[in-house]
Amino acid sequence: MKEDFTAAKGWLERIGELPIAHPVAVMNVCGGHERSLTQLGLRGVLPPNVKLISGPGCPVCVCPEEDLADAIALALTGDVTLVAFGDMLRVPINAAKGEVRSLAEARAKGADIRPISAPQEAVALAASNPARPVVFFAAGFETTTAPVAAMLAQGVPENLSVLLAARLTWPAVDMLLASGDAALDALIAPGHVAAVMGASEWGFIPERYHLPVAVAGFSANSLLAALYSVLRQKLAGKPFLDNCYAELVAPEGNLRAQALLAEVMEVTDANWRGIGVVPRSGFALRGEWKRFDARARFEFSALPRRRAGEMPPGCDCAAVVLGKKQPDQCRLYGTACTPQNPVGPCMVSDEGACHIWWQGGTRAAA
Amino acid sequence: MDEMITLAHGNGGRRMRALIEEIFAPALGRPDTQADAAAIALPEGEIMVTTDGFTVQPARFPGGNIGALSVHGVVNDLAVSGATPLYLTLAALIEEGTSVALLRELVASLGEAAHEAGVRVVAGDTKVLPRGQGGGVYFTLTGIGVRTPGCPPGLSAIRPGDRLLVSGPVGDHGIAVMLAREDFGLRGDVRSDAACVLPLTRALLPLRGLRFMRDPTRGGLATVAHEIALATGLGIELEEANIPVRESTQAVCAILGYDPLYLACEGRVVAVLAPEEADAALTAWQALPGGAEAAIIGCIGATPGPVVLRTPIGGSRVLPELEEDALPRIC
Repeated sequence: MKEDFTAAKGWLERIGELPIAHPVAVMNVCGGHERSLTQLGLRGVLPPNVKLISGPGCPVCVCPEEDLADAIALALTGDVTLVAFGDMLRVPINAAKGEVRSLAEARAKGADIRPISAPQEAVALAASNPARPVVFFAAGFETTTAPVAAMLAQGVPENLSVLLAARLTWPAVDMLLASGDAALDALIAPGHVAAVMGASEWGFIPERYHLPVAVAGFSANSLLAALYSVLRQKLAGKPFLDNCYAELVAPEGNLRAQALLAEVMEVTDANWRGIGVVPRSGFALRGEWKRFDARARFEFSALPRRRAGEMPPGCDCAAVVLGKKQPDQCRLYGTACTPQNPVGPCMVSDEGACHIWWQGGTRAAA
Repeated sequence: MDEMITLAHGNGGRRMRALIEEIFAPALGRPDTQADAAAIALPEGEIMVTTDGFTVQPARFPGGNIGALSVHGVVNDLAVSGATPLYLTLAALIEEGTSVALLRELVASLGEAAHEAGVRVVAGDTKVLPRGQGGGVYFTLTGIGVRTPGCPPGLSAIRPGDRLLVSGPVGDHGIAVMLAREDFGLRGDVRSDAACVLPLTRALLPLRGLRFMRDPTRGGLATVAHEIALATGLGIELEEANIPVRESTQAVCAILGYDPLYLACEGRVVAVLAPEEADAALTAWQALPGGAEAAIIGCIGATPGPVVLRTPIGGSRVLPELEEDALPRIC
């Protein structure tokens, strides 16, 4: 059975009937939303005054370059097996030509690096190779970090450690809105993050910034319902937090997952690639779990790297992540930067806006 | 017979003879194993030849194995060309250490698939590769068939307004093999669609509006659409809502970030027909065991352009050419 689009078409009609006289910029925070709406060809069927802008919800895109460099360097020592979510493998760092620029290249040079899709695979690998240090390079948002916390809370083999590059989503949105140069009229909040952390986490958007917000799922129906909601709110001048994914998202979220996160990790300031330090937006292991921190177990080279932490020259990923540029407004898009030869992380990840647009058939702007 | 294949099974001596006589010959209808070459008789018509190598990992997957798959692959290439497949040749590359029981199972399955498709394996060769120099078992098959010349007429006969049909749900084989690899710790009830498509192709051959058929294997349905667009110089429009995709396949694709339109099928046919005969073709397919879920999925454009997918909410997006291997999604 295919998804039923009757309800989605109904929302689309109702959006078409709204008296939207001026351009309204709506940011979809989550990369999964960007993927869904690009796959649906939604931008082409919305009223011209409704502008959809992709947001910072791509964990691969915002993973700090120096964390990635550390993971590559550690894997290249040959002393460990490094596991990471598959998306991370091809993300390039700012290494000089001829040096290893990604985990995939490190793997080709003989480093033992394996893509995984769930924390249990890291546990299973460590358990079956007890003499071999296994390092789990865990980049991701709350949705992937909560399972990492659960993994540690359940107990892991002593030879497993975690190189954590986990981020909280809402603080980056908060910082973007506080900066005052976001030029956004409404937001669509990420459904899976809200399922873990609670819809109410996004209440700060109407409260502090007087902007409409709605939590959405990933179907056409849920996305269009959320879009209709924020447009209505905007027209009425009465912004509030709406939840258009109530079948999965409770106002308080998944309390068990939150308790696990709070037990195993503490919230810290954290660097976002190309954006800078966002206060209270990262996680670090705490208490008895500190001993599973790869940073405590292994020596990481303190050698200064040229252009460490910066975006590659000419790459507009940071502006794309912040919704200040559309992917095809980057001058590297489709020219120097393609999925086969990515320059920036947004062209690598399935949740990166550039990669999604490329997959959706958008080629370099003429 | 030993339990494991050793290099001695490839040495030309007693063990190799045992391998051929005990495993291959009985499963393949006892072809003449003494002759250096086989004589074949061919009926009247245009002789069609195709060849294909099979390396699928793992050798067994839900819905099939490399033995049956390699017959289906070659037979299907002949079938979509309008030919009646008649003969096969088989080269088997076997890695040292392969279990004889597994090999026996794969060759038996190959023999059954050949028998069901009405083809005979008339010549063959076996080689044993040292451990580490092969991936278990590889088969390479050449197929010979005969067809009525010019039927179907081929890519050059495709005209603007022609319709595209697909004989069943797409992407099952790709997902079934991926799940069988267990790289992702996912379980699903997706079975490969691997099958002989000869009944499907035969059903369309009498239709005068039939232009072209192809089996969407590597690269999937989207890649066949691109091949048609490239050859004709015309754009193609596909209706997403009409393209059959199984719910279980769609679910795994959603988790891993794959697009089923780019995943391999091994028992489907894409056909292009004149618009006035599209319904007749659809009816013919839907009456067949492998065609119950067949659908008219799109049409050939009037002008040059990309392959465009019309989405169920009235939007559209360009289906780009397959460029990369997809990776599992991060969250």
